[in-house]
Amino acid sequence: MFKKVFLLLFLQLIIVSFNAQETNAVLLSKKTTYTVHENIKLEFNIKNDTLIKLYCTNSYGSILLKPTILKDKISFDIPKFLSKKRGILYWKTINFKETISGKISISSQQQPRTLETYIGPPSIDAGGLDYTMLVVIPTDSLDNPILDNSNVDVKYQFLKSERKVPIKTKNLIAYRNIYSPRKSGRMIVSSESYGLNSKEFDVNIMPAIATNFKIYYHRNHDYADGNQITTFYTSIIKDKNKNIVSDGSYIEFYITNKKGGILKASGTTINGVAHTKIIHPDFEESWKVQAFFIGISQSNVINLTYKKVIEDFNTQFFDNNREIKIGPLTSFMDQLIPDGLAVKLFIYKENKIVGELFKESNQGYASFYLNPNIYENGSYRMVVETAGIKKEYNNIKLW
Amino acid sequence: MKEKTNKYLIAAVILALIFHGSSIFFTLEYTYDALIHLFFADHYANSWFEPWNYKWYTGFTVQSYPPLVHQSIGALSLIGGLKFGLFTVAIISIILFVTGAYRYSLLITANRTASGYAAILAVFSSSFVETLHIFGQLPSIIGVSVLMHSLPEIYLWLKTGKFKFFLTSLSLISVTVTSHHVTPIFGMLFFIFPLIGTVIMDVAREEVDSFKDVTFGLFLKTFFKQLKKNLAFGFSALFLIIFCIFPYWLNSKKNPITQVPIPHGSRDNFLEITSSGLVFFTIPWGILMFIMPYIFYRYYSKRYICFGLSFTMLTILGTGGTTPIPKMILGETAFNILTLDRFTLWGSIMSIPIFGEFAYRFVEGDLKDLIQKRFGAVYHRLLGGLLAGFYVAMVIFTMSLGYFRPSQPQKIKMLPIVNFLSQDSHDKWRHLTLGFGDQMAWLAAQTKAMSVDGNYHSARRLPELTTRPIERLENSKFKGVAGIGSLQQFLTTPEKYNLKYIFSNDKFYDPVLFFCGWQRLSQLENGIMVWEKLNVPPVSSILPKEDVQTWVKVMWGTIPFLTVLLAFIFNVQSIFVNSLKTKFKPKPAYFKFQNNYSKFSNKVLNALHIWAVVLIITIAFACYMFYIKNETQRSPENVVKAYYDAIDFKELNTSFTYIDPKDELTRDQYLLEISVTDGLLSSYAKLDAIQTEILKETDSLTTLKVETKWITPLEKLTKTEYRTAVKRKGKWYIKPTRKSIDLPPDQLYSKNSTGYFNQGRRRITTEQTHHEDILKQPVLEIVSAKLIKFNKRYSIIGKVQNIDNVPADIVLKGTLYNDDNKELATYNAKHILKHKLMPKEISAFRINFEGIAWSKTKDSIPKTFNPDEFTPVELSEQPTKFNLQAAGNVSNSDLFKDVVLSEINIKPNTISGTLFNSGIQEITIPQIIITFYNDKKEMIWVDNLFLKEGIRQERKLNFNYPIPENPIVKVINDDMSFCFVNGLPNKDIAHKIIPKRIKNHTLGKLQKIEHPIFSYAKIELNIYIGNPK
Repeated sequence: MFKKVFLLLFLQLIIVSFNAQETNAVLLSKKTTYTVHENIKLEFNIKNDTLIKLYCTNSYGSILLKPTILKDKISFDIPKFLSKKRGILYWKTINFKETISGKISISSQQQPRTLETYIGPPSIDAGGLDYTMLVVIPTDSLDNPILDNSNVDVKYQFLKSERKVPIKTKNLIAYRNIYSPRKSGRMIVSSESYGLNSKEFDVNIMPAIATNFKIYYHRNHDYADGNQITTFYTSIIKDKNKNIVSDGSYIEFYITNKKGGILKASGTTINGVAHTKIIHPDFEESWKVQAFFIGISQSNVINLTYKKVIEDFNTQFFDNNREIKIGPLTSFMDQLIPDGLAVKLFIYKENKIVGELFKESNQGYASFYLNPNIYENGSYRMVVETAGIKKEYNNIKLW
Repeated sequence: MKEKTNKYLIAAVILALIFHGSSIFFTLEYTYDALIHLFFADHYANSWFEPWNYKWYTGFTVQSYPPLVHQSIGALSLIGGLKFGLFTVAIISIILFVTGAYRYSLLITANRTASGYAAILAVFSSSFVETLHIFGQLPSIIGVSVLMHSLPEIYLWLKTGKFKFFLTSLSLISVTVTSHHVTPIFGMLFFIFPLIGTVIMDVAREEVDSFKDVTFGLFLKTFFKQLKKNLAFGFSALFLIIFCIFPYWLNSKKNPITQVPIPHGSRDNFLEITSSGLVFFTIPWGILMFIMPYIFYRYYSKRYICFGLSFTMLTILGTGGTTPIPKMILGETAFNILTLDRFTLWGSIMSIPIFGEFAYRFVEGDLKDLIQKRFGAVYHRLLGGLLAGFYVAMVIFTMSLGYFRPSQPQKIKMLPIVNFLSQDSHDKWRHLTLGFGDQMAWLAAQTKAMSVDGNYHSARRLPELTTRPIERLENSKFKGVAGIGSLQQFLTTPEKYNLKYIFSNDKFYDPVLFFCGWQRLSQLENGIMVWEKLNVPPVSSILPKEDVQTWVKVMWGTIPFLTVLLAFIFNVQSIFVNSLKTKFKPKPAYFKFQNNYSKFSNKVLNALHIWAVVLIITIAFACYMFYIKNETQRSPENVVKAYYDAIDFKELNTSFTYIDPKDELTRDQYLLEISVTDGLLSSYAKLDAIQTEILKETDSLTTLKVETKWITPLEKLTKTEYRTAVKRKGKWYIKPTRKSIDLPPDQLYSKNSTGYFNQGRRRITTEQTHHEDILKQPVLEIVSAKLIKFNKRYSIIGKVQNIDNVPADIVLKGTLYNDDNKELATYNAKHILKHKLMPKEISAFRINFEGIAWSKTKDSIPKTFNPDEFTPVELSEQPTKFNLQAAGNVSNSDLFKDVVLSEINIKPNTISGTLFNSGIQEITIPQIIITFYNDKKEMIWVDNLFLKEGIRQERKLNFNYPIPENPIVKVINDDMSFCFVNGLPNKDIAHKIIPKRIKNHTLGKLQKIEHPIFSYAKIELNIYIGNPK
């Protein structure tokens, strides 16, 4: 009885051990860290030549490998396209009852072959508030980002200064925020890692926002002749660090006139100075002028006055009072006023406006003709307005 | 008896080939349709079986038009190019038409000489000349020609019942079907049904002695006897119509034509719109009008009675909107979809045999004898000369129509455009052509690039297009305000369609392009201006399409050519026998019913004379009325109208002849004054309507109030002027108005300005632009923004500033949401925004939420429409929140800012003032943008005004702006937390550049105004320079 049991047990043991021996595969290669491009070979000791396959996967992709069989050993060669990528390569046997798995970490080379570099934005405002970011990715000969904590030097030149700042790679990249200097200009940036240099990058440091400024005016004379031109211009406008604001900056000039009307002119700066031109008014006027960078800065207020050129004028009526001739309109030296002075004629009948005519002076005169088809015979009140002067003529009879 | 070759037919074919075959090279490319067929042909040449075409309308299917002609041109293009294919098919169509006319005439007249005459006359038939040389409708011509070829075969089948003829007739019908869909359907109705009637009549006739004995009872009896053959044919034909172009019907079912009807001249009242009457009635009928009584007389004889009814029908339907009858017969829908000119075409084709017969009888038959007997030989010769002269004149007139009144702009050299599109990945975006006419189809055939527009309006898919009564965006200016309105929608939101480039052949569109934020890129060597829009993403690499099953594609690709092949196999024997006379052939059955042409009816001759007299009187009266209406100096109204018309067409020398000769204004001075005038009204407006009202009138002097309405690309303008007309020596003249005589102060002056240049790619490479070559997007700041309700419409208003150091192009996109954050509407800022901002420049803006105009109110399209008129989007729910996206891109063009507000006058409800041009460029269109504030100086409304005139350098211009009276303005939301600049939050992006903004900086400089709701205003100026120097 005991013998039988023993025999049975023994038999079972043999069977079990046989089975165990059959599935038993032992990993022979113990090395788990490699550098890229090394040959990686996984060897297993195996009793039985079952059809074993190896499943490998890394960040690049996955593959199923067939073994090379040598007596009781089988080996797997990890293909180059997997072994040249840095990172972790996971493997796992397939076709075993019990799977064996493991991982190999592949590290990149220390020596970079190329520097992948980005910088942006390519233009920033001066003054230390705005910044641009330089990102450097040193990569080895197989295009793997090199080991973390590698050295990268950021070099930049600005005006007279040339600087070199060491940074370390972390999580594949090395980066640095470059804050703008106080001066405007162009900064040249490059980077270096283990003797390898990047190409040159440039960052434009643009002037920051303007500070308050002054405005001035220039005119040929101070008469309100409605013809000559007054020029307004600014002082050289700078930011708080004395950089001249960038060319093309837009300034609005607000002109408040005597009646409270707001006139407007604008100019863009060149070398910090903006000019704008406005035509003289054609009537007595005084202006208050102030210029703005809206929301940013403003100028002082300047006052201008324009003197009357026309004190009085004559109005003559001909041809049944239907032809109205206004003039001579003379300017400050009694010269005839340049052509184009606006003359308006308002025609009222029984205090209701029935016509508003507009003419420009020609050789010092403006004449109107009241068409009998439009203005019937009768009595009218007429108002002539030019150069800010109004003259009224009551009871003008047309026939 | 051995049959001789018909020398008339040979002459007709030779004449046709010489005349049409050589003239098509000068006409066909300028026709309305030929280039469209060319485009379709190009599609088949490149992808025979794939029906989806991406190039037009953001994709459409070519299964929307029967393919035979297109496929033929496409197949031939593989030998000698597209145009070779086009002209070859055109020549084939000419031969088919002439021979078809002969065979059809032979069937009707049963007389070879008369048919020969008919064939010769058909060559120069004015309707055929017009269809080929002016309309370019090749499929239609081939369709109707093959139909004419099939008619004798159908007759023979019905009459003899020989199975051979069943096959030949059906094979020809199927060719007709695959070349043109409308022809066989209406051909059944108007040609085949009458033919069936005639066959029944003939069969009945054989049972009795003469046609007189054919009673209705006998007709009915014969009808039932023949019914089996008729039905067999009818149903087979119907089956073929459906089967041969089955994919077409399938597509029509899937994409029914649900579009607003496009006005077509053939539906006009020809008495009112005489130009339509000329093209769609007078020309196609031509000389046939004079022999109308004879045609009716012949077709209403008992044998042809069914043709008579059909002919009457065609004549009536062809009159379009002149009488209400066509509309009653066809019904509203069919009337608005069909072009009615085809009825006139068929009517004129139907009368070819009778015309041939008439000519035969007139030249050598009984009519000649009758006339000579009654009126003498001289009269006959004279009449003959007159008729022939009129006939020839009609042909010359029709042929020259395209020369004197070109329907197309000058031929454009396409190569520079094709090159531009293929360079530098420009074909990754969609494009649009403006002012190209039908040549846009030729461009489309030559390039890979896609267009949002297209030239086959039945295939349009975008609701923006199908809801408008316009054929295409390309010629939107001719479609008045509806066209411009539709175009503006595409220009305002181009990113929706990936539309980046516009090729403009018409400077009319320039202002709208500029004010919608487009910029000029360059002028190509063929004079075409290229406009570009920044901030538009390229077309995605995978585009949606409506796919169809493979069997449908195979059907579409194979059946048309198979029908031709089968028709050839079935008919080849008879073609050879007929033309080479290789063997004796019995006369066909219809030869039994010959008319011996022995006695021309006296009554008919009288009727012809009376009709001719009536017609001549009518024509004379019409000419007289035309003269009265258009004699330019007969009345004050006429001279005013003529003057404005001449100005509109820039016929300046003509317009000067209407100016009072006693005025001191000389011709040179006049022309000079006009030439220095620029601006919206004088350079970019088209006269739409003119109304004159005489205020005062004496014998020699008249004062008129002239109200002119102009369509400009921006808005519709109305101008009221008072003009005086004087009478001198019996003619009326107009008194001139004079230009400003303001003298600028400076003779020569200088101005410095900052210019910019963007290198783009610094390396010459076809690669994608390098990272370091991409400029930073300029930083903008949305200074303020709020959602308001103005009367009943919603708008987002606010101010945006370029806070960067480089000039920026601005795109503003607003989206409305309701309380549940459901998106309600999206639109871009259109005119009310300065699209180009210099560094630190600020602009007020307003985004209107426009709907697709009239999409809901299809039947109530306003008759007069303002392009600027606003179709508020229909919102299902109340918008309560908004999102505003501002995008800046560096721009270096159109940075002109030299304009000054030099005077201002405030009156109740109006703001007037003077603008002064302080720069060195002539301002073409000044724009004033006015922001209104309430008494707390909070911005509540933004409006704009385009000035009608331009401003020359150092000159002034007055303006007058009426403030909207009593609007209801409500601020709905002024939360700016959803404002973004270049995709980043507005607040954060501005902080780095302007950390401490001076808020409400210029509030102290607001203009006080007198208005119940608005207390203050701020005026900003924007200018468009048409010709920068």
